[in-house]
Amino acid sequence: MATTRREFIKQTGTIALGAAGVGALGPRTVFGAPGGASAGKPTVVVLYLRGGSDPLSALIPYGDRTYYNLRPTIAVPGPNGENARSSVIALNDYFGFHPSMAGLARLYKRKLMAPIVNAGSTHPTRSHFDAQDFMERAAPGVKSVTEGWLNRYLYMTKTHDDSDLRAVSFQPVLPRSLRGQYPALAVPDKNAQSAASVFAGLYGCDDAKQTAKSQEGSNAAKPTTEETPDKASGRGRIIEAGAQGIARLGKLNEVLNDGKLNPTVKYPKTTLGGQFRDIAKLIKADAGLEVAAIDYNGWDHHAMQGASYGVFGEMMGNVSNTIEAFVDDLGPKIDRTVVLTMSEFGRTARENGNSGSDHGHGGYMLAVGGPVNGGRFYGKWTGLSSRSLYEGRDMPVHTDFRDVFAEVLAGLYGFQADDHQFFPEYDANDKPMGLIKV
Amino acid sequence: MLKRKTFINWLSLGLVLPALLLLVESQQLCAATPKTLTGRQAARHVLDRLGFGPRPGEVDRVTEIGWEAWVRQQLNPREIDNEKLNNYVLEHFPSLTMTMDQVFYTYRPPYENDPPTQEEIKKRNTLRYDLNKELTGSVIYRAVYSERRFEEVMAEFWRNHFNVDQGKDEVQYLAAHYEQTVIRKHMFGDFSDMLLASARHPAMLIYLDNDVSQKPLSDREQRMLVRFENKKYQPRRVAALGRQRGLNENYARELMELHTLGVANENRKGGYSQRDVTELARLLTGWTAGRSGDSMMNSGDGYGFRFRESVHDDDPKRVLGMSFRGNEGEAGGIRFIKALGAHEQTARFISWKLCRYLVCDDPPTELVDQVAEVFVDSKGDLSEVYEAIIFSDAFMDSAHYRAKFRTPFEFVVASLRATDAQVTSFGGTRESLRRMGQPVYRCVDPTGYSDTAEAWLDPGVLVYRWDFALRLAQGKVGGVKVPGSFWKGLPKDDPAGLKRALAEALLAEGVDTEGWDAVEAALGKKPEAKQAAGLVLGSPMFQEQ
Repeated sequence: MATTRREFIKQTGTIALGAAGVGALGPRTVFGAPGGASAGKPTVVVLYLRGGSDPLSALIPYGDRTYYNLRPTIAVPGPNGENARSSVIALNDYFGFHPSMAGLARLYKRKLMAPIVNAGSTHPTRSHFDAQDFMERAAPGVKSVTEGWLNRYLYMTKTHDDSDLRAVSFQPVLPRSLRGQYPALAVPDKNAQSAASVFAGLYGCDDAKQTAKSQEGSNAAKPTTEETPDKASGRGRIIEAGAQGIARLGKLNEVLNDGKLNPTVKYPKTTLGGQFRDIAKLIKADAGLEVAAIDYNGWDHHAMQGASYGVFGEMMGNVSNTIEAFVDDLGPKIDRTVVLTMSEFGRTARENGNSGSDHGHGGYMLAVGGPVNGGRFYGKWTGLSSRSLYEGRDMPVHTDFRDVFAEVLAGLYGFQADDHQFFPEYDANDKPMGLIKV
Repeated sequence: MLKRKTFINWLSLGLVLPALLLLVESQQLCAATPKTLTGRQAARHVLDRLGFGPRPGEVDRVTEIGWEAWVRQQLNPREIDNEKLNNYVLEHFPSLTMTMDQVFYTYRPPYENDPPTQEEIKKRNTLRYDLNKELTGSVIYRAVYSERRFEEVMAEFWRNHFNVDQGKDEVQYLAAHYEQTVIRKHMFGDFSDMLLASARHPAMLIYLDNDVSQKPLSDREQRMLVRFENKKYQPRRVAALGRQRGLNENYARELMELHTLGVANENRKGGYSQRDVTELARLLTGWTAGRSGDSMMNSGDGYGFRFRESVHDDDPKRVLGMSFRGNEGEAGGIRFIKALGAHEQTARFISWKLCRYLVCDDPPTELVDQVAEVFVDSKGDLSEVYEAIIFSDAFMDSAHYRAKFRTPFEFVVASLRATDAQVTSFGGTRESLRRMGQPVYRCVDPTGYSDTAEAWLDPGVLVYRWDFALRLAQGKVGGVKVPGSFWKGLPKDDPAGLKRALAEALLAEGVDTEGWDAVEAALGKKPEAKQAAGLVLGSPMFQEQ
């Protein structure tokens, strides 16, 4: 039976709403002894590769001739010392990374990085629209759930002293995974932000410049609306939301403007590089960042996707270089941080007539960070023969993305998804694959 | 109740009576019940809720003729002259009056080369972008400038109720036609007609995947398809199976859950099961969009609704207690959708949603009951349903005055109206709406955009509203200008006078002491007119309607 969004939250949220429940959800596994004095929660950074990123161009089965047969113009040549920059970076005698992924390969060898093959949504849709929704809400085929999975997690585990910067997305509109009842902060661009200071007084933050230091910025709004509770509930909420925005941006900018937090490593001069640099600052500042989410658009490579070089390689290089810089920038804090990449589906195993690939089924995920049991491949590989492909054409799904989500939430936060009916109509695999260290 | 109706009918005659008499009458009404709004507040209220907010001077004009008289006019949109607007639409948004074929031909011309050249691909992308701009521009333009205020307010409701997303596949080529022939055509007529029109429109069929929902393949067919899938040569009978994937329940589910019955919960019994969803999906197999000679099509061989017998599941079915023999073909689906439109639960769900939109986020049960009764009695005549809501006691209850939080769309349109803004192109406004999270015709969820505070009251959205408010006043929203006449009316060297004038111009009757005290403090001792106007538009009070 269908469940409305509100009911779903009601059912699943009951535990979190009871004040006592929160303690029970607290982290059972504690990482970060090396991370220093901070007792804050670990951070998960979700990077969504929007458009259907091609798994066979990222995690390349160079040891299988079929790969080269299926992809006459877009396959990457096998490992070759002389042309290292244009050939597969071998990680074992069957799999290797795309040559643009040198940074990730180094992390793999440091056991800080692990790929998951044939991962994705079991739902058969090949529509971006549906597949993204299903994945970001962790509810394949259930359209009545309209809250993102990260938001549901945040909402169910919220406490009164949540950091204002507990959930941040460095883009003007929240990705769907972060949308919902929990007030995550979508960071407006700089131009829009200047408006916030103009409205500080009007929204009860007279001391806007100090709100960053104030521990209860959002409560500053209350006094003006106490007299008439009837109307105030509506007006009060508007003022409170405004005050929250101002206070959070204030705190955020205080961290971002802190020169001491500037990276000593070089990030790519790309939007993505800048976003990860800012996330790293929040983590280094112990600002209470628990969930960050970023969209990286443009992976729908139907034509001219390139082999060793080309659009896929450029974008993947951006991802790889950014993440390596991020890991190095974090230093010991990487022990309490996980980056997880995903995409709504994979692409056809065979290249199409335009040197590209079409919408497929099974995709891949990458996990990076100290808590990751890195340096090995995860997931089940069943080869490229047409019999083992989904509907004879696409990579199959052997690892449900929800199992990965569940493992990350359990491993980082001790949050057992199934105990809270976190995934509608689905129980995650009770035998974790060991992706996250316990 | 009966008495109330008589009174209202009398009022509608009042259109031809001297305005003064009406004023006296409505004032007497106010005096009778202390909780009733003043005449000016009532005018503001109807302009807010039924008109996306007043333009300068409009509150006075509506006060003068009386809110009831204004509502009477608005309930009969066809009687309101809108020629200027229609001409503008014809000239600037030609795709809105085209058939779907004309749209395809004009905005997606066939490639001449195979594979297409980069220029051809580029040209198509440009045209597609133009097309999207026309539809979204027209929505904004009409909402701001149409004389038929209530029509625009209801268009916004129904385009969300029967949401389609331009971002999905071909919907962008069909959405303008959808808005004209499904939403606008029927929104003052019978609900059942709108429901059936939506069910048969290619935009909806594609958006919710019914066009690919087909009678499931037999095991034998399935095996054959897999065997030949990657082969270069496919026997014709295998090719004919094409990329059939079987049943898709998407539309069947939303048709009941979102469009008619509503989902089951403690207050509203939905009363359908997963089995009903599956059976309904089977009943609607073959309802697709396409182009080819078929008797069911409206215009010759043009693109449109197409019933494909070959993929229709002709086994017997049972949905919500109704039986279908299986040999009825398309007629079975039509019969069911008509019954669904007239279902008592549908009457309740639609009434509740309309009350939520027009009255308050959590409408009183008695009101919903009363409106649902009108829905049933009138067989879903939407004009009568609107009338029942607007002339209810609850609608004018002072507790509901400015009790709704404006959606980004309502906020943007109200801002443009309050400042009498001239919009000559729509890029800046469109982009502002996108940043606030409500891009026109780009709601990916079949639920459409919500109109409740819960959905929109978040910190990020407010920052973008403030940004928009300041930029609008400073003339920095692309394609939008607040005219000199607006600024000329404001006193320059008299700070107190300027504040009063701005309060009147932008918030007329929408001011309360505590809210205004905060604004006044924020404006400071010597406010500059444009900055001050921006502050008022971004103030908490302006977010309410």
